[in-house]
Amino acid sequence: MDFLRPTTWEEALAAKADRPEAVPIQGGTDVMVELNFDVRRPAALLDLGQVAELRAWGMVGGFCRVGAGVPYTTIIEELGGPLPGLAQASRTVGSPQIRNRGSVGGNLGAASPAGDSHPPLLAADAVVEVESRDRGVRMVPATAFYLGVKRSALEPDELIRAVHVRPATGPQYFSKVGTRNAMVIAVCSFAIALHPGERRVGTGLGSAAPTPRRAYEAEELLARELDWQAPLDPALLRRFGELCAAAAAPIDDVRGTAAYRVHAIGVMARRTLTWAWNDHLGRRAA
Amino acid sequence: MTTKYAETEPRQDAVKHVGRPVDRVDGRAKTTGEARYAAEHRYPGMAHAALVHATVARGRIEAVDTEAARAVPGVIEVLTHENAPAMKPAPKTSLMNLSSLASGTTVSYLATDEVHWNGQPVAVVVAETPETARHAASLVRVAYRELPAVVDFAAEEPNASPQKSSVLQPAGGDKGDAVAALAAAPVSVDLRFTTPPEHHNAMEPHATIAVWDGDRLTVHEGTQNIAWLRAHLAQRFGIPERAVRVLSPYVGGGFGGKGFVWAGTLLAVLAARATARPVRLALTREGVYRTVGGRTPTVQRVALGADGDGDLTALIHTSVAMTARIGGMPEGVVSSSRHLYDAATIHLRQRLVRLDLLANTAMRAPGDSVGSFALESAMDELACELGIDPIELRRRNEPERNPMDGKRFTHRMLREAYEVGAERFGWRERDPRPGSMRDGRWLVGMGVATAYHPSLTMPADVTVRLAADGAVVVRCALQEIGVGAATVQAQITADELGVPLEAVRVEIGDSELPAGPGAGGSAQTAGAAAGVLDACRKLKESALALARRAPDSPLRGRRLDDLEARDGGLYHGGRGETYAAILARAGRDHLEAGGGTGMLKFLAKTLNERRRWVKAASGAHFCEVRVDRDTGEVRVSRWLGMFDVGRVINAKTAAGQLRGGIVMGIGMALTEATQVDPRTGRIMNPSLSEYHVPVHADIPRIDVHWLDEPDPTMPLGLLGIGEVGITGVAAAVANAVRHATGKRVLDLPITLDKLL
Ligand SMILES: Cc1cc2nc3c(=O)[nH]c(=O)nc-3n(C[C@H](O)[C@H](O)[C@H](O)COP(=O)(O)OP(=O)(O)OC[C@H]3O[C@@H](n4cnc5c(N)ncnc54)[C@H](O)[C@@H]3O)c2cc1C
Repeated sequence: MDFLRPTTWEEALAAKADRPEAVPIQGGTDVMVELNFDVRRPAALLDLGQVAELRAWGMVGGFCRVGAGVPYTTIIEELGGPLPGLAQASRTVGSPQIRNRGSVGGNLGAASPAGDSHPPLLAADAVVEVESRDRGVRMVPATAFYLGVKRSALEPDELIRAVHVRPATGPQYFSKVGTRNAMVIAVCSFAIALHPGERRVGTGLGSAAPTPRRAYEAEELLARELDWQAPLDPALLRRFGELCAAAAAPIDDVRGTAAYRVHAIGVMARRTLTWAWNDHLGRRAA
Repeated sequence: MTTKYAETEPRQDAVKHVGRPVDRVDGRAKTTGEARYAAEHRYPGMAHAALVHATVARGRIEAVDTEAARAVPGVIEVLTHENAPAMKPAPKTSLMNLSSLASGTTVSYLATDEVHWNGQPVAVVVAETPETARHAASLVRVAYRELPAVVDFAAEEPNASPQKSSVLQPAGGDKGDAVAALAAAPVSVDLRFTTPPEHHNAMEPHATIAVWDGDRLTVHEGTQNIAWLRAHLAQRFGIPERAVRVLSPYVGGGFGGKGFVWAGTLLAVLAARATARPVRLALTREGVYRTVGGRTPTVQRVALGADGDGDLTALIHTSVAMTARIGGMPEGVVSSSRHLYDAATIHLRQRLVRLDLLANTAMRAPGDSVGSFALESAMDELACELGIDPIELRRRNEPERNPMDGKRFTHRMLREAYEVGAERFGWRERDPRPGSMRDGRWLVGMGVATAYHPSLTMPADVTVRLAADGAVVVRCALQEIGVGAATVQAQITADELGVPLEAVRVEIGDSELPAGPGAGGSAQTAGAAAGVLDACRKLKESALALARRAPDSPLRGRRLDDLEARDGGLYHGGRGETYAAILARAGRDHLEAGGGTGMLKFLAKTLNERRRWVKAASGAHFCEVRVDRDTGEVRVSRWLGMFDVGRVINAKTAAGQLRGGIVMGIGMALTEATQVDPRTGRIMNPSLSEYHVPVHADIPRIDVHWLDEPDPTMPLGLLGIGEVGITGVAAAVANAVRHATGKRVLDLPITLDKLL
């Protein structure tokens, strides 16, 4: 197995273009597990650890541009203000060790339906910046990024450079149900983001379908019927929960039954909207 | 009484070290990484082995293709049934030779083409590095002719057959006509419970280093039973016991998983013999699941009948558990029901199914941990039916003598444990109505359950040597599986001889030492303590004999029983002298004495005791849970365990054992289950990422206390504490969940979907 160690983004893109079969490795918290269990044996590993640009974040064109290699710990410590949903989700990932190494870029690269960063990225209309040496940059909306279980829109010669997320203009929440309190893959998860300027609410479902997805009908319901000045209408809240649950297409597995997941998505949808709404109206629940 | 037990403080009598929270003597070595565990030893020329596991549950090997594996550079040998040297078959088990019980399975590995379980090692690759061995192992191709296999425990339940009783473990029993009494009972519950298979998941995966020197064998392995391992290896490889040396100074947890001899151990020794190289075989976590047995699944029925006041008129407890066709320990699943409640009639039965799976084995409190889940859940449900407080129901049915046969208890303080525990836990604040206690979206529930684990001792040979410079060396082949084995024996020795703790060194973990008891059945500490007490007494007698010969000794004319061992010598009131003075006068540089009982005498004594008494460690668990009313998430928010474990030797290690048992029980209650594919018999979650043990964030502060009343029949009055902690825990959680939600969960683990 070859071990490629580019030190700049250009070198990395060149390496990937020359060796499209090379598997990128950032924090390694997915890749090393797969190697360990012999799930795959790539001909080459492309280590992105030396590419400093990937570990930085900054503001670009009104968006937070978060380098693909920024670890969860940094997101928690530095981005809780502009990206509260993503920061909340980051807090629930694995353990301190995993959060020190694992990255959003890696989460996207793995494209697991259970990845915790996906729901908040979907809810906040994130855009994934991918690039190849020969075809340049593509900006792929998160909604178009996830194609199937562990499949994404990334082409073999492309690398993920960053995610672009507009700083929150309203409350955001993330909720996750697991079989224990840490070190656990979500049984299912849900994210919500209020966009008061557009009178719109974004959603993201995790572990509830072959890909992370948004609950479009539920979002449309709120766009149509939500009164942004008034307390939340309980009937509307209930319908929102139902539509979010209806957007789920889960399976039974060792972590939970499909029926449970559908139920829990409904619960989390109602719960996170309630929290967000309380914040929105300026009286956060105790 | 409450004042008497107000604090769990060491008792203030003559003892100086026993009872205190003494730090572990090996704590520093362990926390700094200085302690070397089995897999960490190195030998010149050491090779590494990896296993190839069968992928069918039952069948014959038609062909093994090892060519690709052999072609890997660095591969030394690939052993299969076609070329491996023979091992002797596993011994026939006999109570006259307890080490004959050591076989994990009865399979003769690499001796035939037969496959007995999905995961059985069918080839061993030996290579220069562990990575090479693992890689080459993945290249071995095996073709099987599959045979019909019975692997689905649930489906096999109707075909269960009665379990046989043994001298040590009755499999059933009757007192009166419980079936009729149940039918006539004004109030009754009749429940069916299931518990899944589980695995120990000790921190240290099993590892063996085997080194042959001619016909002498040295083995490094973390084992719970040095003597059994040594005898078993001698027997399987046809060499005398004295030619086998087992080194096991540190064991990274066992929980029963290292009590017997499993494939990896035998195959490491076999590979070393076949290649004439020292061989190291360190199992992966998956390898542990595939080759080391776990806890049996169970199906249980508990039916209880009571009169209107809550006096039990009928107790029925029956079980189905598994063994494998190739071995496995029949568990005493219903055994707690022999001892806990004074029911007018009792009916107990245990049945077994035999499966084509890896043999099950002992796991922390075999029988009692799963049996207590069913019995203690049923008691709680009966309390709900009756509208009686569950502690009151237990109090009412607390027996004066052993319910099945009227034998006396040597010691029993469950009433006190509940009384003191309830007070400290704040049980009075519990509103008995289900779902009535809330904290925001959380439903709060409180549950109790009884912990109960029989106490036994095993014989130990111990020598104690006291040198003129004051250094004391205690020697016994104990196993340090994380419990503080050497530490507690040092405390006992220091007190018995009246010397400083720092003067005592305890040598353990080596088969060259006098034979110790196994670390199993919560029996190691008591067994070794008996040997230490005996040896110390003999040593003091020799010291006194020396002193009495001297005309000027202040001990002249004294008997040992009149003397106190303190300040490095023997004293009667203010008069006495130090061991150093006695030895100096006699011109001796040391004294040494041996203690212990022979096996035959021990067996006779044990059987005799069993005819007369019932003894056990016990306790009361108090648990508070919070259940999310919408998602069903269960969080254990508070725990208090009040135990009666006789005399506690070390407050720190004892608390660790009891807490550890509770943590493991919380895992059993909420998350742990080994998933066996019912079609193929293959374990589907052989890793810590898919088999969920509790993490720190799942465990609240756990208060443990003990009554600290010595048991009159046990050495120093101590009852074993390694296992009692886990018994009753799953029931306490289930009972708290029932209180929080009104739902009775009968099938472990209590996962989210079961609460909706
Ligand atoms: C113990 C443990 C607990 C975990 N808990 C959680 C959890 O709670 N929630 C959760 O979501 N995940 C969890 N994970 C999974 C993992 O930590 C996350 O998916 C993490 O985000 C991966 O990031 P990484 O940087 O380590 O990725 P890596 O392992 O380095 O890579 C992951 C994938 O992304 C690809 N990749 C990485 N960087 C790029 C790039 N720049 N361009 C293109 N492809 C790229 C890799 O080729 C690989 O396919 C856990 C993992 C472990 C081992």
